[in-house]
Amino acid sequence: MPQYMLLLHGDPAGWVKLSPEDMQKAIEKYMAWTKKPFTRDSKRLADEPGRVIRSQGGKPKATDGPYSETKEILAGYYTIEAASYDEAVKLALNHPQLEYGGTVEIRQVYGS
Amino acid sequence: MTAASETGSLLEHLFRHQAGRMVAHLTRLLGPANIDLAEETVQEAMLRALQTWPYEGLPENAGAWLFRVAHNAAIDAVRRNRLLNDKSEAIVRELSLSASVPADNPDLEEQLRDDELRMIFMCCHPDISRESSVALSLKTVGGFSVREIARAFLAEDAAIAQRLVRAKSQIREQRLTLDMPRGGELKDRLASVLDVIYFMFNEGYTAHEGQDLIRRDLCSEALRLGCLVAASSIAIPSVHALVALMAFQVSRLAARVDEAGDLVPFEFQDHKLWDQHLIGLGFHHFDQSMAGDEISEYHVQAAIAATYARAPEWHAVDWPMILGLYDQFLAINPSPVVVLNRAVVVGKVQGPEEALAVIAPLENNSKLRSYYLLPAVRGHLLLELGRNNEAAACFSAALERPCSEPERRFLRRKLADCERATILGQIS
Repeated sequence: MPQYMLLLHGDPAGWVKLSPEDMQKAIEKYMAWTKKPFTRDSKRLADEPGRVIRSQGGKPKATDGPYSETKEILAGYYTIEAASYDEAVKLALNHPQLEYGGTVEIRQVYGS
Repeated sequence: MTAASETGSLLEHLFRHQAGRMVAHLTRLLGPANIDLAEETVQEAMLRALQTWPYEGLPENAGAWLFRVAHNAAIDAVRRNRLLNDKSEAIVRELSLSASVPADNPDLEEQLRDDELRMIFMCCHPDISRESSVALSLKTVGGFSVREIARAFLAEDAAIAQRLVRAKSQIREQRLTLDMPRGGELKDRLASVLDVIYFMFNEGYTAHEGQDLIRRDLCSEALRLGCLVAASSIAIPSVHALVALMAFQVSRLAARVDEAGDLVPFEFQDHKLWDQHLIGLGFHHFDQSMAGDEISEYHVQAAIAATYARAPEWHAVDWPMILGLYDQFLAINPSPVVVLNRAVVVGKVQGPEEALAVIAPLENNSKLRSYYLLPAVRGHLLLELGRNNEAAACFSAALERPCSEPERRFLRRKLADCERATILGQIS
């Protein structure tokens, strides 16, 4: 079955408003997702934004950008299995990321 | 907590409880003046969990993980923070030492309970107002957020936030410490701790919409704090009496509101919904409250609640016994509210006429002017006597006084009962 990557973007500052009780509920919702039958993998990315290397005048150069206006970062990703892209979208609609003000980008992973 | 990582679920209220004890613990290590810093580092640890666990799952011991990360955040903060200048190194040493204690060390558990206890006692310092003490206890020891406290008290977020800021600046300015008071001061402080816990409990216990669990959480937290004090070496019989009272009351919470969120009067409650574990806890502490000669207000109220809990059904309630207890209650606390509650029992034992005579002098009491229960009780007694029109007038009067939505619906039902009784009276 084709695999799809759910790229989870969000603003970590949004979490600050949650009470400990609500934080726990959020974690439980995400963890429930890692245990769904269609979930294959879940990985976190370091929360410090990475540097970007590009070639300038034939020489590689590392910069701190590019960042958009918002504070949204790519926090991590889940890999799921679905029959089609539409099916993957349908599954992703229930992802807690959306409930907590983040976004989910869905991309098919070829060759899996 | 190891089992949690296997099942993938967390203990109920783990974050809330862990937040409370970690704030108490770190406040002791950082000093009460830095209570904000303690709260921030605990928050940071929880945020870290929120960024990690959704992808990597639960760590082996979730509570210990939070504890360790919070300590590390505190150590970083102290090193950055110039305010702690001269003491920084000593504090960092203390924090490192505390972070290295294994989570299953029984001494650690005891230390954390002790920290929580000291924190409650500081929050209930007599110079801090009762409202602020409750808010501060809930925030620091209870792990409640400002918004949750505001919801529980039906207050604005900003009002609660301000109350907390004021209380914390009092802690700093008056250099309050986490040292336990001694001698006579301990006795007084313990009394105000019980007062704050009981106030917290009553705020949660007041009839509320069934959906809003936050107020039940308030009752549970008050009960938890009560148990914490009761388990300590400074517990006196009245502490056990208060815990017994709260446990009996909480045991009936589920039976008190039906699925539609309507109030279920005691006589119609399904006893199967009473929490037997909590009733057992209540009797356990009730027995312990009997040590010594002191009979506090909590003792008498616990005894009343125990009498209800003992009755297998409504018809088996020992009303003369309860009336005797109310007489004692009145002797300790001769307030109009107690007179009114006692009148309900007088109605059961001696009849509604006598009860009406008991509450007659309350009519002009200024303290009860906006208390809906006075006309409501009067209406109830009149309805029993078949004086339906007068009863209806009382329930209408009660509806004009402030009360919660479920109480309002209850009063409307009673009003409908009056009308039905009148119609039935005309037919027969």
